[in-house]
Amino acid sequence: MKLGNYQVKLEKKLRVGGWEAAGISILAILIALLLVSVIFLEAKVNPLDGFTSIFTYAFADQFGVPLTINRSIFILLCTCAFIVPIKAGLWNIGMAGQLYGGALAAFGVAYAFGASPSGSQNLTLAPGLIIPLMMIGAALGGALVGAIPGFLKGRFNTNEIVVTMMLNSVAFWLVAFMIKDGGPFMGAGGEGEGFILPPSLDAPQILGGPYTILLALLLAGFLYFMFARTKLGYQIKTYGQSPSAAKYAGISPYNIPVLVFVIGGLLAGLAGYHLFAANPGVYKITQNYGDFGDLSFYGVICGLISLENPLAAIPIALLFGGLTSGARFVQGELQMGFGVDYAMLGILMITLVAFQFFYRNKIVWKKLEKEK
Amino acid sequence: MLDFFARSLNASTIFTIAALGELIEQRSGILNVGIEGVMLFGATLGFIVAKTTGSYLLGFLVAIAIGGLIGLLHAFFSITLGGNQVVNGMGIWILGFGLTAYIGYPYTEPLGMDRIPEIGGLSPFFFLGIALVIITWWLFSKTTLGLKIRSVGENPSVAEVSGINVTATRYVSVVTSGMLMGLAGAIYALDYNPVWSINFLLGWGFIALALVFFSLWNPFILFGGSVLFGTLWQLSLNPQLVLPDIMSRYIWRTVPFVITIGVLVLMSTKWFSSRWGAAKPEALGLPYEKE
Repeated sequence: MKLGNYQVKLEKKLRVGGWEAAGISILAILIALLLVSVIFLEAKVNPLDGFTSIFTYAFADQFGVPLTINRSIFILLCTCAFIVPIKAGLWNIGMAGQLYGGALAAFGVAYAFGASPSGSQNLTLAPGLIIPLMMIGAALGGALVGAIPGFLKGRFNTNEIVVTMMLNSVAFWLVAFMIKDGGPFMGAGGEGEGFILPPSLDAPQILGGPYTILLALLLAGFLYFMFARTKLGYQIKTYGQSPSAAKYAGISPYNIPVLVFVIGGLLAGLAGYHLFAANPGVYKITQNYGDFGDLSFYGVICGLISLENPLAAIPIALLFGGLTSGARFVQGELQMGFGVDYAMLGILMITLVAFQFFYRNKIVWKKLEKEK
Repeated sequence: MLDFFARSLNASTIFTIAALGELIEQRSGILNVGIEGVMLFGATLGFIVAKTTGSYLLGFLVAIAIGGLIGLLHAFFSITLGGNQVVNGMGIWILGFGLTAYIGYPYTEPLGMDRIPEIGGLSPFFFLGIALVIITWWLFSKTTLGLKIRSVGENPSVAEVSGINVTATRYVSVVTSGMLMGLAGAIYALDYNPVWSINFLLGWGFIALALVFFSLWNPFILFGGSVLFGTLWQLSLNPQLVLPDIMSRYIWRTVPFVITIGVLVLMSTKWFSSRWGAAKPEALGLPYEKE
């Protein structure tokens, strides 16, 4: 294409450097926020005021900061759940279903050891043992849901995207079955939410926040190490580059899909555990659990923007956690309509989709020689 | 009981029309996993326009237009920019879900208009759905355009060499698909369940996506599948009709999704692909670049 004296051409990038990628990601986020300004303008709010309120609430408010941290932990765990399979070239769109599985399993453990909807507190095991068992249960519950697409992919080469999407809906209705209309986990209030854990099963806290923050950061660090340094990480990446080449290198094309989806499901299960069983002041499967399933898709965005790097995902998860909690706040504060945070999710996602292009191509400007 | 079957057929119409849209674009080689998002756009804007203007016609037209527009966006991302179609579809779904939550929220209420008159106890759209099934079948098995669409979905480079404009054919298919999905969303919001609430499609778009795989890209099987899924969904609302006190309605709702997974697995087996493997468009989901 010619533009004035310049020849404009697209060239394929062979690889994207770390800093260049970070630059593109930051630009994508900035442009998305610029587009969000349109929503502010439409609601007759000065975008600067809007963003100031969002960021002040998210990062400098005594009520906002804990919420931001809570959501960031959740988003980080979902991001890791997305990253592990995508390293193998497989798409985990099923964090929602896996986190529901984790939440059900965690409460199932509590239920099995005596916590019950009627509020009875005759626990049959020491709370100090039940709490870690709940966490392990959640991890296994998520892993179980994750194992299904992994197994089907490995054994039959079934498309994992459609399977994980279907399982999201299956798990969504299973939770409804468990907590609504007289389901076994229904709370005493009968308001369509799960039972509340007895206070003795409240998870430990760090500085008044959920201890899962340590869990999430450790796991992100561990995954980074796994992909950078271990044989397993290398095998997963090789499979991601080319499953058939991996086969010749002696890597099982059956085990890798199962493994990455089990790990992904496990991480998403922990995200569900964090939300419902370790979140101070919640300790139950809430009526609006579906909203958090939707929120888990920030994991996809975060995983893509961080270019599948679990450490780079940490600041991005923090930013997104802040944006979602702040957006919820401004819509009340500035009398905007409901759903600003959802609109922002949509705009961030679609901007990122458009920006994929720049990770893969670069635009080259070349001055044309004057014809003599 | 008759009423139950009528409701089931009305529900199936929405699956049929949305899934036919997806079938057409998949035949051209483009995958859109974001049907739910396109339908939400059509449903929400159609609802708002019909409610504010009092005109069903305007509501449907706007829904079709916005569906086409979103289709155009997907086409641009997937064909022109050559991006990963799954990511693009996800983006469209999340955009649809996010923006419509915000745009539609002030309209969280019943439509409050006279119901669209029924024909023989059924929604008129049921007959439209049947007509579209036949037209789609005719398009793909009897017309040159259908053959062109199929060839760009099977092997775009060969199609290009034989003089077919791959980009234009795919654009037309994807935009048409978007219009059908927008229409399906509007039928849901203006006829089947005329009460807006946040994210009120409850995964119908994903059922429609599943239906296309289920149908082996055949419009008649797709129609049969829609009736099956529509009935299953309706049963989930009234489980007492079949198995009183045995299965919760929530468990019923998982059935269409579980069946879909079963069908997908069946389709992936060696036995199946050696027998029927040719059904799937060969170039589905792969970006195409002119040499």
